[in-house]
Amino acid sequence: MSLPNPFPLNNGKKATCREMLQVILDDEASTEQREYFKAHMEFCMPCFKDYELNFAIKQLLQAKCNSVAPDGLKEQIRNRIAQII
Amino acid sequence: MEEVVRQHYADHEKQEIFDKEFLPHIHSMYNFGYRLTLDRDDAKDLVQDTYFKAYRFIESFQKGTNAKAWLFRILKNSFINDYRKKVKEPNKVDYQEVESYYNSDDVDRQITPDLRVEALRDMIGDEISNALNALDVDFRTVIILCDLEGFKYEEMAKILDIPIGTVRSRLHRARQLLKERLSEYARSMGYKNT
Repeated sequence: MSLPNPFPLNNGKKATCREMLQVILDDEASTEQREYFKAHMEFCMPCFKDYELNFAIKQLLQAKCNSVAPDGLKEQIRNRIAQII
Repeated sequence: MEEVVRQHYADHEKQEIFDKEFLPHIHSMYNFGYRLTLDRDDAKDLVQDTYFKAYRFIESFQKGTNAKAWLFRILKNSFINDYRKKVKEPNKVDYQEVESYYNSDDVDRQITPDLRVEALRDMIGDEISNALNALDVDFRTVIILCDLEGFKYEEMAKILDIPIGTVRSRLHRARQLLKERLSEYARSMGYKNT
């Protein structure tokens, strides 16, 4: 691969697949890091599979683990604050 | 923590900050409260208390800065101080152990549950929610902050009062544990993991 590896060294060693993947998953990657990892996944099957799985979990979390505050909660908060103003 | 510079706001300004910067986060706050307490009524109380405190201490908030992170930090602290005692918790995790494990060479050789994407597609009910709720509260918290709320390491470190390195290792471990839970569901749904 011709691109220089934009991930920081860890104790003088190149970032491992796991370390790179975590930066990507945690959404802490720069544009260069994302591009490098994308190119890397084309020939690294374990990374590709791991990324796909983790990404699917993240999407599932976002689809299923959000909740909406009950009706009236904003009003209750406003009323309680009105008492101390 | 950075130094808190006390602001001075007129009443109408307080009201404006509260309405425009604080209240729009109510759904995220409620969800965070629910995922911490695992009880809808406790979540409501926790969110109310948090907003009440936010208003009382509004002058330690600088207008236009990261209100969401500020509110999340108050909510997390209220949870620890007022609720955690009464919520039944699984055994506390020994972080020393977790972190030294994470930093050892073993971690890359561990058996990652072989969960497949197809199995996830069939999890259309509460499986993921139950799997998340079953994690220890500290692991649950980092998943919510990162994957649902999109906070950065630095923001999470401030919300949780822990170093960035701990945020990173806790997230890694949390993802591992969540995967283990989900592969148990996948097995029970008849997916073979080999």
